[in-house]
Amino acid sequence: MHPALQAETLYIQHFRKKDEARPLSYYLEQMQGYTALGKALKMAPDAVIDEVKKSNLRGRGGAGFPTGMKWGFIPKQSPKPKYVVCNADESEPGTFKDRDIMRYTPHLLIEGMIIAGHAIGSKIGYIYIRGEYTREAKLLDQAIAEAYSKGYLGKNILGSGHDFDLTVHRGAGAYICGEETALLNSLEGKRGEPRVKPPFPAQAGAFSGPTVVNNVETLANVPFIVNRGGEWFSSLGKVERSGGTRLISVSGHVKKPGVYELPAGAVTIRELIYDICGGITDDKKLKAVIPGGSSAPVLTPDEIDVVYDIEPLMKIGTMMGSAALMVVSEDYCAVKLIKRITKFYAHESCGQCTPCREGCKWMEDILHRIEDGHGREQDLALLLDIADNINGKTLCALGDAAAGPVSSFVRKFKGEFEAHIRGKKCPNV
Amino acid sequence: MSKCVIDGREVNFTPGQNMIEVAKQAGVEIPFFCYHPGLTIVAQCRMCAVEVGMPGKDGNVQMMPKLQTACSTAVAEGMVIKTKTEKVLKNQKSVMEFLLINHPLDCPICDKSGECDLQDNSYKHGDAYMRYTEERRTYVDLDMGPVIKKNMNRCIHCTRCIRFGAEVAGVREMVAIQRGNNTEITTIDGRALETDYAGNYADICPTGSLTLKGFRFRKRAWFLKKAESVCEGCSKGCNIELQQDANVVYRTLPRTNLEVNKHWICDEGRFHFETIHDADRVLSPAVQGATGLDMAAWTDAVAKAQGALKSGKVTVLVGSDLSQEEAQDLKAFLAKQAPQAPVFHFGTPGVKTASDDAAADALLKRKSKTANLHGLEKLGYKPFDSLPAGAEQVLVFRAGRAVLPDLSKAKTVVGVGVFLKQEAQAFQAVLPGLTWAEKSGTFVNHDGREQKFQRSILPQGQSKALSESLMLLANQGTGTGAA
Repeated sequence: MHPALQAETLYIQHFRKKDEARPLSYYLEQMQGYTALGKALKMAPDAVIDEVKKSNLRGRGGAGFPTGMKWGFIPKQSPKPKYVVCNADESEPGTFKDRDIMRYTPHLLIEGMIIAGHAIGSKIGYIYIRGEYTREAKLLDQAIAEAYSKGYLGKNILGSGHDFDLTVHRGAGAYICGEETALLNSLEGKRGEPRVKPPFPAQAGAFSGPTVVNNVETLANVPFIVNRGGEWFSSLGKVERSGGTRLISVSGHVKKPGVYELPAGAVTIRELIYDICGGITDDKKLKAVIPGGSSAPVLTPDEIDVVYDIEPLMKIGTMMGSAALMVVSEDYCAVKLIKRITKFYAHESCGQCTPCREGCKWMEDILHRIEDGHGREQDLALLLDIADNINGKTLCALGDAAAGPVSSFVRKFKGEFEAHIRGKKCPNV
Repeated sequence: MSKCVIDGREVNFTPGQNMIEVAKQAGVEIPFFCYHPGLTIVAQCRMCAVEVGMPGKDGNVQMMPKLQTACSTAVAEGMVIKTKTEKVLKNQKSVMEFLLINHPLDCPICDKSGECDLQDNSYKHGDAYMRYTEERRTYVDLDMGPVIKKNMNRCIHCTRCIRFGAEVAGVREMVAIQRGNNTEITTIDGRALETDYAGNYADICPTGSLTLKGFRFRKRAWFLKKAESVCEGCSKGCNIELQQDANVVYRTLPRTNLEVNKHWICDEGRFHFETIHDADRVLSPAVQGATGLDMAAWTDAVAKAQGALKSGKVTVLVGSDLSQEEAQDLKAFLAKQAPQAPVFHFGTPGVKTASDDAAADALLKRKSKTANLHGLEKLGYKPFDSLPAGAEQVLVFRAGRAVLPDLSKAKTVVGVGVFLKQEAQAFQAVLPGLTWAEKSGTFVNHDGREQKFQRSILPQGQSKALSESLMLLANQGTGTGAA
């Protein structure tokens, strides 16, 4: 057994109990439920934020922004109501960790949100959950009702004088609504399109009020931090500037796919695939790894000795994103894979800004042609140029999410692309 | 006054001013599509992206790694803006390419050609070579009502029309449906447009996607000669531009005046120019004969008018659509020629005096449907109720817009100015005059703002300026200057 698997975990032992872990009674008895809330309500809001800053908790949704700093941006005084919004859209392909938190330990999220509300001075919270998570939305509603009945939510929580109301809002299935400003638009009942920034949500977010938008796992970590201290949480991480454990969604051609919990930065990708997930299906050779959800630039087998965490991955030109590791074996066609990924982004582009609306579909069309054996020699240079024209030039990060994978696939699997073009068909068939 | 640096030059700006405007003032053009000074900022087209940097604490300028859209970036003291770097130019080229890959490039048959932002920017910033070989996106268009013709294939999704409807016209009628590459800009459920300001959709559209039904295929934009004018549709005094070729006015466009009409005009004002070329307009002197009102010589018509004027029983009605200059001339003329005659102004039923005039909607329209009601009152013209008893002879001066009151009780009516044949059927004589497009002058709007308008076309037919007609009325037969 890999030593990383023996490290302390926060979630996974409860996930294993499945439905048994869900009720409030379990949460209270087995997980010190709502003790952090009691403790936090006795602390000054700034002290809570300081504790989160100390914890080195970084956003678990994809960008990895330090959570404490994000909370610190919320103005103390505001004429408009402040909001805590949980981004439960979990729409990055390959990511399915937040689902387990909402399924098995929903009260962690609820408690985390109430504490966040206390820290930034907000009385209203929303959980924006992706439309496909119908079951999880129901479970959250049940858990919220439990919390209301015990006085953890509502007016005068635990006699502290602090109020907090929490509502689940279901999305309608658009990937873009995982982008925080598009999420806020959708929450307000508008078309799910990202907003121009600035203003950032911390100044003008939901309904123009100061808003903090955090991922499910990010908020679920907060009760642990309050209970056991920021320094303890930070010490769980094995690399600098990254605290806590990470829930990792592993999918693709591995023997044991699923959600894993490991201390942040405890393993390399190679260890993760071969020692923890049991290696490649049918003991085939590894062809590619997409380390952080489908928007992360791809890695080849000679690049997987990198530590699996935010900064090390950034250094080699890719990203940890939402910690969704997708493993691809030698059997799968790289062109087909990137075409499928690009098709997804072209389909999910909101259509507001020019490079993303026009460019993603263009790339998809070209990739489609190459896959079908109608590619041309100049297509590869064209793909790289289109990707470059999208990357960093769009209104939100969706453009980058579509362009990064394309340019990395074309660069790293050039031979396979050329084989398609010259052979006028897929060589893998 | 704050200072920033654009392309190496120090430029003054007022905090809060848009970067595109600051650059424009300094003579630096930053190209754009979705930005419009009268609408909110969305930063969607990405054409205006520039390099932006700020001096750090050590005084060294730190350029931001990514391009920033000029429309949405607040200009700050000491900011360094670069609009001509390789990175900026490459982005402009790429945005042009992205916008054109699905554009039909049908400029030869497109009405916007010649005044099209997409076309202009393509020449200036695009590439003549096209790398796109895939199938182009096409749409099926639904009818949008009588004003606007839509061609979605030409659309570049700038959303100006959506924002105009929601933010200016106050009707959320244009929307985006579908998403991504399939995004379509359309009316809700494909309905006809509701707003009375629909013509502005065509003005702000940066391509030929929304064009005016009444203008398309009638005249190429580059043939049109422009005159700065003021709308005579109501007392708002919206600033407009009349565009003509070969003495025919083809369209009216708004001119920006932030204190009056901002960037907009209403459809009523926009299409009012059509009356200039009304086939029914009396364009030659006419006299009542055996078969009704018929063409005549100027001398005959003038003689009839003189008869009425000198009858001693004349009542003079003056349309509040006359320019300030005309009204002044007329006042001086009447003081001399018919000092006893009662003189009234008329214009809009229900709006007798300037104090009856008020806003007719939330945007521009006013209740007074003539342009110079306030000017005429300033000159001392009295409001009209009904014809005084015994008013047998009536002389009507009018520029075409004022609504004629009931004149059935008058024995003799002579019209001077602009009339339709139908309206003047029972008149004894008509001396044809000029519409506002055929003359220069001044209108005084509801705020008391005096606004000059320029002549756009030459007098139509045999019509004469009011000053000329007055001269004939004063002098014909006196040996001092007959026609």
